Amino acid sequence: MSLLSITGLAAGYGPLEVLHGFDLEVNQGEIVVILGANGAGKTTTMRAVSGMIPRRGRVEFDGQDISTASPDSIVRLGIAQVPQGRGTFADLTVEDNMMAGAYVRRDDVQADLERWFEVFPRLRERRTQRAGSLSGGEQQMLAIARALMSRPRLLLCDEPSLGLAPLITQELFGVLQKLNAEEGLSILLVEQNANLALKVAHRVYLLETGNVVSTGSAAELAADDSIRKAYLGS
Amino acid sequence: MLKINQGSPQHWALRTLGIAIIALVVVWVPTQMSTSRIGQFSDAFVLIIAAMSLNLVLGFTGQISIGHSAFFGIGGYTAAILIKDHGWSPGYTFYAAAVVAFVVGCLIALPALRIKGIYLALVTLAVAVLFPTLVKWKKLAWLTDGAKGIDSVRYDELPEWPVLGELKGRDGRAVFAYWLAFLVLVITYLVCRGLVKSRFGRSLVAIRDNETAAAVMGVNLTATKVLVFGASAALCALAGVLSTLRTGVITPEGQYVTLLGSIVFLLIMVVGGAGTLWGPIVGGLVYVWLDNTTRGFGSESDGVIGFLFGWSDQSPATLILGLALVIIMFVAPYGLVGLIKRLWAKVVLVVPKPAGTSLSTTGK
Amino acid sequence: MERLLQYIFDGLSLGSIYALLALGLVVVFRGTGHLNFAQGEMAMICTFFTWQFHAWGLPLVVSVLLGMVAGFALGAGVEVSLIRRVAKKSEAGVFVVSIAMFLGFNSLAGMIWGNLPPEEMPSLFPDEPDDFVKIFGAVWRYEYIGIMVVALLLMGLLFLLFARTKFGLAMRAVASNPESARLVGIPTGLVLASSWGIAAAMGALSGAMVGGLAGELTSLLMFTPFIYASASATLGGFDSPGGAVIAGLAIGVGEQLAAGYAPGWIGQELRLGVALVTIFVVLLFKPSGLFGSAKVERV
Ligand SMILES: Nc1ncnc2c1ncn2[C@@H]1O[C@H](COP(=O)(O)OP(=O)(O)O)[C@@H](O)[C@H]1O
Ligand SMILES: [Mg+2]
Repeated sequence: MSLLSITGLAAGYGPLEVLHGFDLEVNQGEIVVILGANGAGKTTTMRAVSGMIPRRGRVEFDGQDISTASPDSIVRLGIAQVPQGRGTFADLTVEDNMMAGAYVRRDDVQADLERWFEVFPRLRERRTQRAGSLSGGEQQMLAIARALMSRPRLLLCDEPSLGLAPLITQELFGVLQKLNAEEGLSILLVEQNANLALKVAHRVYLLETGNVVSTGSAAELAADDSIRKAYLGS
Repeated sequence: MLKINQGSPQHWALRTLGIAIIALVVVWVPTQMSTSRIGQFSDAFVLIIAAMSLNLVLGFTGQISIGHSAFFGIGGYTAAILIKDHGWSPGYTFYAAAVVAFVVGCLIALPALRIKGIYLALVTLAVAVLFPTLVKWKKLAWLTDGAKGIDSVRYDELPEWPVLGELKGRDGRAVFAYWLAFLVLVITYLVCRGLVKSRFGRSLVAIRDNETAAAVMGVNLTATKVLVFGASAALCALAGVLSTLRTGVITPEGQYVTLLGSIVFLLIMVVGGAGTLWGPIVGGLVYVWLDNTTRGFGSESDGVIGFLFGWSDQSPATLILGLALVIIMFVAPYGLVGLIKRLWAKVVLVVPKPAGTSLSTTGK
Repeated sequence: MERLLQYIFDGLSLGSIYALLALGLVVVFRGTGHLNFAQGEMAMICTFFTWQFHAWGLPLVVSVLLGMVAGFALGAGVEVSLIRRVAKKSEAGVFVVSIAMFLGFNSLAGMIWGNLPPEEMPSLFPDEPDDFVKIFGAVWRYEYIGIMVVALLLMGLLFLLFARTKFGLAMRAVASNPESARLVGIPTGLVLASSWGIAAAMGALSGAMVGGLAGELTSLLMFTPFIYASASATLGGFDSPGGAVIAGLAIGVGEQLAAGYAPGWIGQELRLGVALVTIFVVLLFKPSGLFGSAKVERV
């Protein structure tokens, strides 16, 4: 069943149109990767889904039309985004960052806090430290933990591997895969590293200058010669 | 829509026509209009000069100054003191005022360089607030005459400028003040234009747009900023001298010497269009016109104006100014010159020469 | 010794008013990154509201509270109707609009209330000549004590709001990273409007106290306090609420000491000057104030 369903999505900045009306779908329990070069419009897509920029076309989440919904109501419905460049609240403590992630929730969040500290023990060690003082990898963990604090059903992750050491990236992707496998968390992941993307993805969309040019299962795309040449460098 | 090639005969004709119209108005005012009107234009010229000086700093380096009323005051006081206490001929005090303000401006700019953004704005605010208190300070009363200020600062005898013919009495003085202000305005315009179009000017814009890039390009940031601030202070001081010579008095709380002056200069620049050469000119004329028109609104007015403002016996001029500012920020966030250019572009399109032949833009 | 104590006490009392106003500037600045040039004039208008409520027969305390409510509405209304709209058009536009409000409010107050004879503004606290206690030889006027207590109390409440409440967390998150704040579902518009509202409400309270001290209202009431407040915010660091409060108190004490110990040189006229020059010197060594972070660049 499709959790997120996008049809004819067009968006941009002022007069500049960046996305030219494409379709994209994320099914319940899937990890879907958007692959594309710099400037293809991946981040713009994420921002459009989160309601951060005006958009045209239809975006449905769990059967509900969110094409014109505000960012806070979208978070409330169960979509959380880990922005590109992590976007942590640099002068807030690690704990406050996570509490801010739970802003839309009215129930008790303490248990969740503990839970993500279990998953990311390094965050627990630094819970009273300013987020700005963390290393890149720790900040990325914090950004993910913050997004998870809202108990999303769909997690949008914009290039979480950017600027991280391969080992850390692997660790992070491991966590994401585990969450997907064990809890059925659906994930829409933006990635430039195709090797990495194809490893974790169930399905892949290839984005070029604001249009989806190819889509299919990870295996299908990995088998496609032209794509291998362009994105896998072999 | 009309399409004209840059540098073509039509383009030149258009420019000549524009200049001719301006020249006609400039001559028309002192020869045909009433003395009080002439005074209003002189006042506008003074404000335009001050706004141009501010424009140099803000428009071309992106630094904000709310302290220029102090340089205006420095100009006025330098002239007043030299004329009254030292018997200088008024004409020479322009040079002295410019030098004094240049030095003070550089002295203020030098330490202010370390300070950025909102902090710099507030330092200049402090300068504006400080100046009147300093002038009133009893330890300086020997120089400034304290709170009562200095009066009867004027030309004992108007110098003879043959082109103007014989100038006599109050009317003559007004005409003379007009031409003097116009002369200084033209000089200020040419200085600003020269600075902006020069290599130096382009480095200013580089600073505004990107400090790091400018540093890489080898622009000496410190020297450039200090010199610009100094030059700007000097030009603003000229406006102060003009104003003092025209009205004959300067006081610590006088027009444009307090923070209110800085605010007026700032709005003129913004309303006209910050960072454009013609912005202060348009802004200054509009400001003086608006101020003079609305000053008299009040309980005596009838019609809509009486209905809107008749309930108070205080003039709504400042309120209207505030409202006008807000409206302008909404309809023309880059000032009236920007708006005029946009509208004008719908009527006449000046097609630039092919790349590489000229960098200058046209139209006013 | 008594004199020293006296100056310190008086300074702390006046300084707490500066601190209150400065905190308002900081709250707005942290929220939207703008200097609200009209902060003092908005406080002045609200003080006239307070006076008006009182003149209509309401008790003074109630009038002040209503004045603060009016202040909140004014601040939030201005943010929603003007500031956020003009911010979309140009960054400098907000500063210009705040200057326009500075002029507009000042003129409006003069037009509405200025034609009355100078109005008496009663004090919230006992302010008869003999309303004081002597502690260690210094005169502690009830009014000064009251101002200090009320101002510090309100500031304490605000700090609790910032540090302990969900809304405070939202305000800090918006100040730190507005984009991410929206992403986690914080209604940033509401937060910004409230920041402006809170700042204006604090201004309304300082206005009532300044007015009570002065004993009368004019449209110039808040100009000097505003300058002191912006000096405090500058000194403390424009994005540091704690810094603004400490700096406000320090400036209050400093100017009392300067004016008190060097009356011949400095006297009343140059008190403000001393404060401003001190700040200038401090900024040379700490270009973003004593407690501010260096990232503050916008105007
Ligand atoms: N805030 C913005 N304003 C204007 N243009 C933008 C903005 N952000 C991105 N763009 C433009 O949109 C296009 C797509 O950008 P983006 O979605 O960030 O690409 P990607 O994430 O795939 O690298 C680029 O051409 C970029 O220049
Ligand atoms: Mg991107």
